[in-house]
Amino acid sequence: MTGISSSRAGVNLVAADARRLFQAVLFLGFCAIASRAQQPPQDPLINLMLSQPPIELNAPVTATAAFDPPVVAPGQLSVYRVTFNALGESIQFPAELPADPQLGLRRSAEGEVMQMGAGSIVPTTGFNYRTYPSSVGEFVVTQFVATVYGKAVEVPAAKLTVTSSLPPDVQPADQIVLEIPETNLFVGQPAKVRLLYPGNQAGMVQAVSQVQLIGEGILADQAPISQRIERLPLPQGNGTVPTYIYETIITPLKSGKLNVTAQGFSSGLHTSGPLVITGGAITIPPAPPRYTLLDSAPLDLQVKPLPREGQLPGFTGAIGVFTLDPPKLAANVLKAGEPVELTVTIRGEGDFSRLVAPVPPSATGWQVLASDPSITISPTPAPVPPPPSPSPGPSVPTTVGVSPYVPPGSASPTPAAAPPPIKPGYLPQGAATFHFTLIPVSEDVRATPPIPFSSFEAGRGAYVDLTIPSLPVTVNKGLVNADAAAVAQAEADSGEEEKLVLSGLANAPGRMAATLTPLQLQPWFPLAQLAPAFVLGSLWVWDRRRRYLERHPDIVLRRRALQALRRHRRAARQAARLGDARAFASSAVRAMQAGSAPHYPAEPGALVGGDVLDVLRTAELADGSGRAADTVKRVFAITDAAQFSALSPSSDGAPARTATDAPKELLSLQPDIEEVLRNLEERLCPA
Amino acid sequence: MPRLIPTSILLACVLRTSSMASSSETLFHEGTQAYAAAEYSSAATNFEQSAALQPSSGTLQNLGLAQWQRGQPGRAVLAWEQALWIDPFNLHAKTNLRFARKVEQIEAPNLAWYEVVSSWLPGDWWAWMAGVSLWFAVSATMLPAIFRLQKRTWHQAVAALGLMIFLLTLPAHLGVLTRSRIGFVLDKGAPLRLTPTSEAQVLTRLGAGEPARMERKRGNFVFVRTGLTAGWLDLRQFGLVSPSS
Repeated sequence: MTGISSSRAGVNLVAADARRLFQAVLFLGFCAIASRAQQPPQDPLINLMLSQPPIELNAPVTATAAFDPPVVAPGQLSVYRVTFNALGESIQFPAELPADPQLGLRRSAEGEVMQMGAGSIVPTTGFNYRTYPSSVGEFVVTQFVATVYGKAVEVPAAKLTVTSSLPPDVQPADQIVLEIPETNLFVGQPAKVRLLYPGNQAGMVQAVSQVQLIGEGILADQAPISQRIERLPLPQGNGTVPTYIYETIITPLKSGKLNVTAQGFSSGLHTSGPLVITGGAITIPPAPPRYTLLDSAPLDLQVKPLPREGQLPGFTGAIGVFTLDPPKLAANVLKAGEPVELTVTIRGEGDFSRLVAPVPPSATGWQVLASDPSITISPTPAPVPPPPSPSPGPSVPTTVGVSPYVPPGSASPTPAAAPPPIKPGYLPQGAATFHFTLIPVSEDVRATPPIPFSSFEAGRGAYVDLTIPSLPVTVNKGLVNADAAAVAQAEADSGEEEKLVLSGLANAPGRMAATLTPLQLQPWFPLAQLAPAFVLGSLWVWDRRRRYLERHPDIVLRRRALQALRRHRRAARQAARLGDARAFASSAVRAMQAGSAPHYPAEPGALVGGDVLDVLRTAELADGSGRAADTVKRVFAITDAAQFSALSPSSDGAPARTATDAPKELLSLQPDIEEVLRNLEERLCPA
Repeated sequence: MPRLIPTSILLACVLRTSSMASSSETLFHEGTQAYAAAEYSSAATNFEQSAALQPSSGTLQNLGLAQWQRGQPGRAVLAWEQALWIDPFNLHAKTNLRFARKVEQIEAPNLAWYEVVSSWLPGDWWAWMAGVSLWFAVSATMLPAIFRLQKRTWHQAVAALGLMIFLLTLPAHLGVLTRSRIGFVLDKGAPLRLTPTSEAQVLTRLGAGEPARMERKRGNFVFVRTGLTAGWLDLRQFGLVSPSS
């Protein structure tokens, strides 16, 4: 009994110890859980980042440099590659390399890739240069220094041998082949691009990662349309090689001549995204991939701007070959104020990812709202027959832009021709569905408004109308918000302005101008205004003078008399010079008569010598000599005698004197006559 | 011999004018062909030279189209404005301007009422109308008295009409003069500077086709006033509708 009780006591003791131990463990567990519950949950992204291996920045930086291939024939491609195990941002690479200028090295690619190393990520940066040496010889790019992480790193020398007799086992340069079916594009037109990286005849092929398409004015899609490995025939026709094919789309954003190159890193079979392998067995590279920077020869694109002429309404930048499915309306019998959805699908070939829905129109009686289009792109793009032969206008070339390449491992060392070209029109097919919400604000509407939409077909070089047609509807009375109706009507009124398009060219120069300077600012115009002013002013002055003379007729008489006196005086002088006494006397008398006539007034011919004397008498009294009177008397006497004695015979029987017999002595009186005439003239001239 | 000199001068002027006109037309047609072949730069050059020899509305309209196709909206707007300056009835140029301003989101110049009036007719028409109407009115007033015609009511009516036309053209004259100082920014992002130097602080950048009024000039810079601001602009980036003003 004692044994049993002692064993029971022992058991009880053990049980108590176990119980205590269990309680202690339970307590500690609760404590642990409680403390953990107090910590905030960690960001999963931080966790992800922390779980990644670190980037190796502390390892010694080494550089490698080599020509690929190191031996070429004249005119063949060799790629000079320099590789650093460092981040690209940290490398200061010299702009000029210490190379023979005859090499003509031209930088063709620069890229960086992260490789998995032993417990860390190792950055690798590569610089590629292309050369096509034309002369035979050995060319060396000597050792030079680059700065990495602030420290100098030596880049070893590399040698290239150019020889006419190339060894048979020399492989051509490792490069990507860039193919663009269409090189004549319009701005915004998507173009399919294909990159080829051939393997070798042993079936070994590598993919290309971190593919970049580089070119100014080019927008390249980040994700490929497809990447696959398939067997393509060798150019020489001796079998096929597995070739990595990467397809994507580029879109030129500016016009002109654009240059496109491709680059990437050979990466074994490491790719991002699905990789389809077809066409037989391939050999997977045994070792982890060596990331080699590859590049392609540049390709030129000729990009034209979209024509402004002929642009149709509703063009939102869609370029491709599209068709419109019949639109679908959720209901045909509507109530005013209640929305209805209009759905229309556009199908075809183009860049659907950038398709923009047409702008909802402003229509009387409707309020139209649009939502973002839902887009689907067919998963396996199928080749589309090329568009019909283009009309006269921008043409689509049928040549393929291909950079030359030689599949590595091929038997022939000479550069081979390109693989078969891709047919034009090989773009992804897809569909986009536009959704519009239409709200009738009036019961009077009978159909939905047409929604202008158009696209540009590059093959034809013309815009295509894809206007979404109107559908008949019946609108019943409903509750319409007055504000909505007013807004819709206002939008409709403002939207009914004419659709603006650019005009065509003018056929003729049209209205011309000598200059764009306004006439008012040209110096000759104000001066030209002086002409009518001068004319009118002259007329006005003339009219004033005329009126003055009318009020003072004596002035006219005097002027006329003066003119007559001077005229006769000239005649008298002339006659005196000629010795014609008769004419001299006659002219002298007339002059005196003319000079005296205004003082009476009287006709000059009616005046006799006495009249002239009366005029002169005042002058005689002024100068105190009677000489002038005597002269006048003698002239008139002689003239009268000569004139009248011709009519009656003389009393002494002498022959009658005629007028032609005026005595020559009259000519001697010329000075006196001149004096008389001068006096008369003075009396005629106003003071 | 002396009579031959003015005749020969006149003949030389006529020949020069006709040769200029023919070369201007040749350039116009060459530009049209280049435009049709989508060689817009060449077309713009031809139209520019043609307009320099003989400014005409159609040539400037085509120049604007070529510049637009080249992606030079500022120069296109200037060309169309100059086309309207010569011929305000050119509907194509008007439409193109509205199109360009809508596409590029640029404003039209803010015109005063007298400037709007002046834009109804070519500027030269206003000048001739004013001159003819003024002297017509003066003649209608003076000539009957000079030629001693009996003054009639219609004489006075004609004089009044002429004077009325003259007075009505005065605001248009002012509008022509002020509008001649309107110009447009040619290049996108043209810097508007605080002082007339190339190193001066940039106040803002102007868009191509934006209108501005020139107030004064200094060296290679012009002081312009836009709708929002004022400053100095490089003369090469600013095009006046009426270049000689």
